[in-house]
Amino acid sequence: MSSVSEPSAVTTQPASPPLRAPALSEIFRALLEADFTVQLRNNRALLLSFALPLVLLYALFASFAVKRGIILGAPQFKVAAALTLGMASIAILGYSMTVARDREKGVFQRLRVTPAPTWAIMTSRLLVQVAANLAMALVLLVAANLFVGVSLTAEAYLLTFICVIFSSALFLSVGQALAGLVKSADTLSAVGRIAYLPLFTLGLFGQSTVFGTTFELISRWSPGGTVETLLSGAMNPSSWNSDTWLALAVSTAYSVVFAGIGIRWFQWGAR
Amino acid sequence: MTGLALLVKDLRVSYGPKRAVDGVSLDINEGEIFGLLGPNGAGKTSTLSAIEGLLKPTSGSILIRQVDARAHPGLAKALIGVQLQSTSFQSELKISEIVKLYAGLYGVPLTKQAIFDRLTEIHLGDEASRRFSQLSGGQQKRLSLLIATVHDPPLVLLDEPTSGLDPQARRQLWDRIEGIRKSGRSILLTTHSMEEAQSVCDRVAIMDNGKILTVDTPAGLIEKHKNDPNVLAVARGQVTLEDVFIGLTGRELRE
Repeated sequence: MSSVSEPSAVTTQPASPPLRAPALSEIFRALLEADFTVQLRNNRALLLSFALPLVLLYALFASFAVKRGIILGAPQFKVAAALTLGMASIAILGYSMTVARDREKGVFQRLRVTPAPTWAIMTSRLLVQVAANLAMALVLLVAANLFVGVSLTAEAYLLTFICVIFSSALFLSVGQALAGLVKSADTLSAVGRIAYLPLFTLGLFGQSTVFGTTFELISRWSPGGTVETLLSGAMNPSSWNSDTWLALAVSTAYSVVFAGIGIRWFQWGAR
Repeated sequence: MTGLALLVKDLRVSYGPKRAVDGVSLDINEGEIFGLLGPNGAGKTSTLSAIEGLLKPTSGSILIRQVDARAHPGLAKALIGVQLQSTSFQSELKISEIVKLYAGLYGVPLTKQAIFDRLTEIHLGDEASRRFSQLSGGQQKRLSLLIATVHDPPLVLLDEPTSGLDPQARRQLWDRIEGIRKSGRSILLTTHSMEEAQSVCDRVAIMDNGKILTVDTPAGLIEKHKNDPNVLAVARGQVTLEDVFIGLTGRELRE
């Protein structure tokens, strides 16, 4: 702490008021730079983004799983399951909790008193999350190619990345809905963990009748199952069929519904 | 005084059935420091929040340098600098990055050197790589004030800027507030401190129950209310600004 006797840092330069609202491009540049920096410095987010899906990928292809007859679907479906886990982790355990924590600390209120529109504040954060999902997908697909022999054509890579964007939208809208419905960061942490497991694990059995056909049907059209169907179709474009189109439509519908909930009930302040 | 920096007319803000701000009108001249005094729950922060665009008023008008803040919120926000009562920034950002972010949000590009110079001006040059949470309370307040004025706004809104500070840090912040005024800007601040109101403010309004009860210079308020029976009932000797405040707002504790 400085003492009172030190020279007072009185600002004497004349005020030069900016008589214009800043351009949207200036606002987005500032927000995106800060949000990317936050994402890269967030160790938990990095762990959730990359380590968890790689561990699942290894587990699904591991010899013990095959020896015990744990066959959940085609190789592309297993890669899709690992991708889905990564996206669900980023959205539910990463994004929604960061939003709740920042809301509780007053970070959003501080941003809202600047000329940045509220939609820009949130869009910047969501764009960074989509970028994190794409980076995670790239790492996972390269790992799947190198270590478990699942190789994709250029067309399949492109289609998969497009579907990752759609799938990110679904999980991020779920995260937004949770942040909208649950105000406290601590409560959201608990609710997020509870919601996260069924959201992901239910989808794992979308191509397996191990628990019966009814469960398989529920699993296939759950948010996680829909995304897995979509991604496994994208990874093998020749197998893209009416079910894959339906999965795309259903995942879009889920996104709209959850985003609607998230926007309707979201509060910028904790009080 | 050349014009009005802020003109608020008949402002009303409600939280459900509860009316937090009930017909507040005030004006602040260019280069003036205006203080809002009031007990907890009087409506000071709600008034500020409505001017800042954080709360939507139920009625009334807010003109910031003749810009209608309700019709043109983006432009109005570019004309004000804000220090919230309790503020926080993304914990992963260094303070130099926080300054860069907020300058960018106002369309003010700052080089690394310019950011360092501004931090040095508030004696935080050596802390540029630290996080906000690692700063002391006084340092946090200084940084918040720097960020509030990073775009040289004509009007600065400060919500209890010196709460929780030791006397040294408080005096330093007063110097900075005075410096902001000397550069031609106007300031609207809320405070619980009578000493602060008397030392810093040109004019003071006393608020309670969402209404402004009286407005004048600190000395003018004492002069105006020194013979008020409620004020005399609480005075212990010569009437002070605190006696006027207690006399007008009552002795009851507020939550």
